[in-house]
Amino acid sequence: MSEPMIWMLVRGTGETLLMTFLSGFFGFVIGLPTGIFLFMTRKGQIMENSFLNTAASVLVNIFRSIPFIILIVWMIPFTRAIVGTSIGVKAALVPLSVGAAPFIARMIENSLLEVPHGLIEAARAMGATPMQIVRKVLLPEALPSIINSAAITLIALVGYSAMGGAVGAGGLGQIGYQYGYVGYDFVVMNVVLVLLVIIVFIIQTAGDFLAAKTDHRK
Amino acid sequence: MIELQQVSKTFHKKNGGVTALDNVSFTVGKGNIFGVIGASGAGKSTLIRCVNLLERPGSGKVIVDGKNLPDLSSSELARSRREMGMIFQHFNLLSSRTVYENIALPLELDKTPVSQIKTRVDELLALVGLEEKRNDFPSNLSGGQKQRVAIARALAARPKILLCDEATSALDPATTSSILSLLKNINRKFGITILLITHEMDVIKAICDEVAVISDGKLIEKGRVGDIFSNPSSPVTREFITSSHDVAVPFELEQVLTESSNGTDYPLVKLRFTGKLNAGTVFSETSRLFEVDNEIVAANMDYAQGIKFGVILILVKGTQENVQQAIEYYKSNNIQTEVLGYV
Repeated sequence: MSEPMIWMLVRGTGETLLMTFLSGFFGFVIGLPTGIFLFMTRKGQIMENSFLNTAASVLVNIFRSIPFIILIVWMIPFTRAIVGTSIGVKAALVPLSVGAAPFIARMIENSLLEVPHGLIEAARAMGATPMQIVRKVLLPEALPSIINSAAITLIALVGYSAMGGAVGAGGLGQIGYQYGYVGYDFVVMNVVLVLLVIIVFIIQTAGDFLAAKTDHRK
Repeated sequence: MIELQQVSKTFHKKNGGVTALDNVSFTVGKGNIFGVIGASGAGKSTLIRCVNLLERPGSGKVIVDGKNLPDLSSSELARSRREMGMIFQHFNLLSSRTVYENIALPLELDKTPVSQIKTRVDELLALVGLEEKRNDFPSNLSGGQKQRVAIARALAARPKILLCDEATSALDPATTSSILSLLKNINRKFGITILLITHEMDVIKAICDEVAVISDGKLIEKGRVGDIFSNPSSPVTREFITSSHDVAVPFELEQVLTESSNGTDYPLVKLRFTGKLNAGTVFSETSRLFEVDNEIVAANMDYAQGIKFGVILILVKGTQENVQQAIEYYKSNNIQTEVLGYV
């Protein structure tokens, strides 16, 4: 493999990591409050409101139903409006974040559902406000499970970002697509795969480690 | 301190409503320990949860420290709830927080300065005897230790009232009694009013001043613990007392027990004392009056607020005539007397 090729792979890896973590971050910025909202307005929870819950739930489901590859295209006008372009890493961040958010919201909702109801009850009995219950009880108690969800989400985003590569998002996906699918360079394609596998393994291992570290249930 | 007036609560299920509380009224005086006893499903959990409005009553008043809680705004209610500590059957400690941090939680919610939190938590750790466990997580504690942490947490904000929801039901007997004596100690030391619910008569007997019996959502009996034990008026109450104090015929005796007398054997008699008389002297009385010997086989007697009650199994030995007279004497003294057979 030539030196420029190696540098290209290094840059591609950097771009993939950047897209994965940045869109993961923005996805959480949108998904976390949405997930908390979905949980809090559920039946039997402290801010029970079936209308708002159903509305949020429908919205989340709609976004989750759109295949990612179509979401990228569908969102082009919106992406242009926000970042000024529809190609490259910056442009990929918008659909990646929007695509990850509803997924993250559902993950967060599920993590919060695992928190024993008695803890919420105890906090209410102490006179905690809903905001305090979220900050002091729900999020810290659900943290190990949220970290696990974050690892799953980031791994899904590695895959999504590679998909984005096929339509000009850059990163390892684009290299793999161009040199592998289009040019049929066997070596490059496999190196790309190995790099993706390594990224996924590192994320999963780190996630498992952090989840275990924060879990004091056993 | 706590007054419930005609509190009712119905849960709506698919197949109609379930009445959990039906016109329940009672008053708990300041500094008292008030126990509510009932079988599972009797509505006692709903009752205690209505006192701090974890459950909103369908109708009626819940007056705590002069304020009717259902009338309060949510911020006023939060303030009132901080005057009430609560402990639970399953402790409900946060697994993500150490013992110290769990106890500090109510103070954090109150935005207490960190230095004050530290002083207060140290005090409480000493009170419940867990100074050495301050940095442990709840998962490393035994059930009794967890409940001690929960008690410390409930007391952190210096409440006037402590609500105990089946606080000892998940604990073994030895731990139960140590938790109960801690509660009694707290009540004496700080004058905290305690409202507890339980299904165990032993808990009521051990620490309560007053007791209320709840069955099918209705309050069927209430009064001072000694009075209820000595003179239960409803069958449900009697059942609770009986079930907490019973004796079984020992296996060896059961093998040789015959239904009727052959003239040379002695009756095995079960005496149930409900506290109306001085149980301690009936045996010497019958010995003196009828020349019989009372051989005690098994007994389960107890003492609450000056009242002795329980059950004793005896063999009454003597001539057939004297034995008969002794049994009649027990009956005439208001002791529930039952001849189980002859040995």
